[in-house]
Amino acid sequence: MRAVAHDKVALAFGALFVAIVVLCLFAPVYAQDVAHTGPDDNHITETVIVDGKQVDVVSPQGVPIGPTWKGRFLLGADSNGRDVAVRLLYGGRNSLEIAAIATLITMVLAVLLGTLAGYLRGFADGVLSRLFDLVWAYPAVLLGVALGVALAVGGLNLGLFTLHSGSLLLPAFVIGIVFFPYVAKPLRAHALSLREREFVDAARVMGSSPLRIMVGEILPNLTSTIIVFVPLIVANAILLEAGLSYLGAGVQDPNPSWGTMIADGIRLIPGAIHLVLVPGVMLVLTVLSVNVFADGVRDALDPKAIVRGRF
Amino acid sequence: MHRTLRSLLGLSLALALFAGLSACGSSSTGSTTGGTTGGTATVLMGTPPDSLDPGLGATTQSYEATWITYTGLVTYAHASGEAGTKLIPGLAESLPSVSSDGKTYTFTLRKGLVYSNGAPVKASDFAYTIQRAIKLGWGDKELLTENIAGGEAFDKGKSSSISGIQTDDATGRITVKLVAPYGPFLNVLAFPAAGLVPSGTAMKSLTNSPPPGVGPYEIASVVPNKSFALTRNPHFSSSTIPGVPAGHVDLNVKIVSNNQSEAEQVLDNTADVFDYNDSIPPTLISQVESQASGRYAKEPTVSGEYFFLNTKAKPFDNPLARQAVNYAIDKRALQRLDSGMLDPGCFFLPVGMPGHPTSPCPYGDPNAAPNLAKAKELVRQSGLAGTPVTVWGGSRAPHKEFVDYYASVLNAIGFKASEKIVADAQYYQTVGNLSTNPQTGWLSFSQDFPNPIDFYQLLDAKSILPTENHNLSQVDDPHIQSEIAALGPVPSSQLSSVVGRWQALDQYNAQKAYLAPFGYDEVPKFFSDRIDFGAAVFHPVYGNDWSTLQLK
Repeated sequence: MRAVAHDKVALAFGALFVAIVVLCLFAPVYAQDVAHTGPDDNHITETVIVDGKQVDVVSPQGVPIGPTWKGRFLLGADSNGRDVAVRLLYGGRNSLEIAAIATLITMVLAVLLGTLAGYLRGFADGVLSRLFDLVWAYPAVLLGVALGVALAVGGLNLGLFTLHSGSLLLPAFVIGIVFFPYVAKPLRAHALSLREREFVDAARVMGSSPLRIMVGEILPNLTSTIIVFVPLIVANAILLEAGLSYLGAGVQDPNPSWGTMIADGIRLIPGAIHLVLVPGVMLVLTVLSVNVFADGVRDALDPKAIVRGRF
Repeated sequence: MHRTLRSLLGLSLALALFAGLSACGSSSTGSTTGGTTGGTATVLMGTPPDSLDPGLGATTQSYEATWITYTGLVTYAHASGEAGTKLIPGLAESLPSVSSDGKTYTFTLRKGLVYSNGAPVKASDFAYTIQRAIKLGWGDKELLTENIAGGEAFDKGKSSSISGIQTDDATGRITVKLVAPYGPFLNVLAFPAAGLVPSGTAMKSLTNSPPPGVGPYEIASVVPNKSFALTRNPHFSSSTIPGVPAGHVDLNVKIVSNNQSEAEQVLDNTADVFDYNDSIPPTLISQVESQASGRYAKEPTVSGEYFFLNTKAKPFDNPLARQAVNYAIDKRALQRLDSGMLDPGCFFLPVGMPGHPTSPCPYGDPNAAPNLAKAKELVRQSGLAGTPVTVWGGSRAPHKEFVDYYASVLNAIGFKASEKIVADAQYYQTVGNLSTNPQTGWLSFSQDFPNPIDFYQLLDAKSILPTENHNLSQVDDPHIQSEIAALGPVPSSQLSSVVGRWQALDQYNAQKAYLAPFGYDEVPKFFSDRIDFGAAVFHPVYGNDWSTLQLK
């Protein structure tokens, strides 16, 4: 971690990511005390004062107001007269929440199955590796869209485990499934090499069970790989969530997400470009900050693997 | 004096000869209105027609092309407004004689008619055309199978012909027997699907190479999902069928799926006709209004926008909950969501449909602010506050925006609303499946023909079906059923005698709040500078009447 502390670029972008997270967490405070409106409250037929003039929040032709740079409609309104800044922060909460849960699902599945496949080898490895290949073979976005669309209307019902169609856990589940082979395969390879090492042989000779060896000997040595993957998966999960939501297969209306905000704003380009620009910029900043920070972490944990040129 | 007289006589003869030749239908002089004839216009379409085969096509995009290509025994007058809803004889010499029991229609075919390929038209072609539309599965084939005697048996393969249709090629006589009197039956025969095609036309989709028909145009050069052309039919003149004009210009129809690009092309005069089914992007409307004021107009259509309220499911099985929705919806807001192309209203039957009430709205002025306080109070009284409600809607703008707004209103008056957005192509299939049992959602309906019975199928208990359910509110009201039974058989030509009863029925329906109507659609009539805007007819049933387009 000391190495990360010395990488000022990584630190700056890490701080930017933390700032975005904090801003999004404070969405309810902003909505209540600054914008005085909720994320789904419409104000289509209302007016606001801008530069001393009364202006329609949404014009009779349906064009929403742009940024007022004041508390109400700071970043403008959308076609339903909803405050873009409020929806941006709530959308960020949803995107980050989904990315965090999806990353957790990916990492749990990948660590569990990757370690099992790598350590057990043989038949178990064969079955699990083909499963990784099967999921890997589908382009991530296409698989995500297929699963997302299939589950968006009816939800997911697996007996004890039920998710209704509007739940944020649904896109998180889809993204978590889509990405797990991308982590499981390298972890399997790493586990495969670790099981041949002397300390694993020593544990085996001492009579440790396979479970004990995997938990006590293999997993601790996979930690640095896992840590490197976490921010990368977070960044990719945020991007995939935005893509799925844009296509109607992720976050379901009226819940905001950066992807749905961009989709809603597309038809009003070029007259109300803020509708696409604002969530788009936020998305780029978030993914960029996580990616640069992730590079810093990877460089710090594995200095030999520096592939990114330093600023 | 004598010389002068002779000169005048000669001039008169020359003029008469010229007029006669014009009437005989040279393609270059076939205009009925005296406007410019010749040239080619580029027509843009946002969505391709579902089919250009008249036996299959059932979308407005298809009808726009096929109603001027395939004329039936009767057709609509080529006129704007109410005049365009009048049925006139098409391939039949006159409107049919109808038996006293209203079940038998007798037509006589005009003499000397030929298809666009020059082949003569026979009475038996009518029977073949109807059989073909049924066999191919025309989208509204139930209008044929349920009304014409023997139609269902033919559809189910129990007979090789339709027993209710008798034809005589020698006399041109065509007799159609119905199962029961059906008021709008002539409107059914005015659909392009009943526009005659030659006997022996392949019983398969000919959408890429449409069969010959009788009409001002013939369809050619079809490139699926990209373009097609309508060229003037060399065998058709304005005297072939009085009231049906020969076309003035050839038409190149191009599919442009991006509304922005479509509107910009017409604004820049690089294309000539904007598809009235598409909406001009809100950000372009001001520019169009200012730069193209002489070639842009909002045209009212006979179509309505609604939220259906399922009377068989909580919370809308409670009349108070339905009334609350009708009080709470701000129609002015929905008008803005529709880029201003919506005329706020509260009745089921739209403006322009006989039977549209003229009385005040029972739940407040649609052009004023809604009564949210009253709506909240009604929800509180009903004891249904906090009830989860799923709102269904289509994904295209502004359908999704309507649903976003509606969900926020439901939340504001005390329900707990969430949304389910489905791609428009699958929307009605999804909500029309009774197992889905949707509580509420968006519903839009445009007239198929100018008779209120067309709209009331949406509130007819017989329309509640396991799949393709049209009655999404699942209304089963004895009063509505008895009025439908009484008014349905009244012929469209006699609607004026029962307008009062239709109005009373629609007021009753509004009072019951079986639906939450919020307005009637307006559409853009938008052409390039090259087109004579004033001469072009916007037809109340089929939209832009391409046969009236002419270059300046």
